[in-house]
Amino acid sequence: MKLHEKILTHFLSCTSPVDKEGYLYKMKERNATYYRRWFVLKANLLFYQDRPADRHLLGVIVLEGCTVQMLDSDGYFPFSLEFGSGLKTYRLAAGDAQTQGRWVKALFLASHCYLSCLVRDLGRHYEEVKQQQECSDSLSSFRSFSPPTNSLMLPTLGPSTVVREGRSFSASAALPPPSIPTKLAAKKSPKKWPRRNAHVTPLNGPAPPYGEWSLVGSDPLIEFRKLHDFYGQEVQKAREEWLRSQQTEEDHSEKDLIDLG
Amino acid sequence: MRFNEKELICLSRQPSEMAAELGMRGPKKGDVVKKRLVKLVVNFLFYFRTDEEEPIGALLLEQCRVEREDTQIFSIAFLDEAERKYLFECDSEEQCKDWIDSIIKASYEFMRRNLIFYRTEIHRLTGKDPLEQYGISDETRFQGNSGSQLVARDTSSL
Repeated sequence: MKLHEKILTHFLSCTSPVDKEGYLYKMKERNATYYRRWFVLKANLLFYQDRPADRHLLGVIVLEGCTVQMLDSDGYFPFSLEFGSGLKTYRLAAGDAQTQGRWVKALFLASHCYLSCLVRDLGRHYEEVKQQQECSDSLSSFRSFSPPTNSLMLPTLGPSTVVREGRSFSASAALPPPSIPTKLAAKKSPKKWPRRNAHVTPLNGPAPPYGEWSLVGSDPLIEFRKLHDFYGQEVQKAREEWLRSQQTEEDHSEKDLIDLG
Repeated sequence: MRFNEKELICLSRQPSEMAAELGMRGPKKGDVVKKRLVKLVVNFLFYFRTDEEEPIGALLLEQCRVEREDTQIFSIAFLDEAERKYLFECDSEEQCKDWIDSIIKASYEFMRRNLIFYRTEIHRLTGKDPLEQYGISDETRFQGNSGSQLVARDTSSL
């Protein structure tokens, strides 16, 4: 299969952010020896070369469908990228625990699938927050009018709460603002990037209509389990700290309210 | 340049909502339209000969320009070479629109920008950083670029 390499190398050298770079050791399967390489992580691609200044790339690893595993070892700090049965396992190693931890985390977060889940979550969160904002805005703008004698709601207030499109209108606006289609709003926001990419979300503008992005190729439950395990570590740490702080206080004879087993 | 070919081929076999037989033409002069099964998986566009298991090729959909060429034809240009375009002929206007939309939204960089937008907005509206609960608020990957506040690239050297 042909992987159009020029497209990848162009992507590597363009101005979009590098997510992580540094020296790591990579094991060559043939002789089970580690070789020092310069790695550059960008989006869901892990490039490697001999030295940072080299123009020649040795290779790239597409990070979709792999699990990142921290490995135990005395004296060095290995980890692996496992693609599953019948597929490759890349063995890498860092020079110290901190570097190892940082790379494992960075690689874990690198997949397209992960970002897709995250954006979906945040998108929903954003919609909820916007709706709550509109509710409180409409309540306060209602109060700014003297209430009519009949109990029916003022229809003119309706449109002002509906047409938000990501812009924040002041709550005391007396008239409903004109309905601005998303595309027009997008055109008005200042562009801060070269025009060559015609379809770009303006940073200051609203995100385009959020459709369902197909979570391709992965079971969302597995992804969330991975995420859950990962966050679980944070929760575990917090719980341990809490327990420690509880023990230093007066002795309580009751058990934890919630037994997490 | 080496790459994990077997794993990428495996990726190309994943189910995808955007998979269809389109007329595909390469960017070089003299390239002709050929019927290909075109499939969008994450930020890659794979193309197969009809009924073949292994894709002929894979195009990374980053830093590319997707454009409508005609009612049923769209193009993708890479490497800032606006004249060298891959052309794709669809069966309908709607299908063409769907493909353009899907390809744009599949880009990792596009998704990252959306994430930064949501993060910034949620923070502005609620005072809270929504990434904190995930334990990833410090990751350089999810930082926005804003002039002097550019987060330094995380370089760990051995």
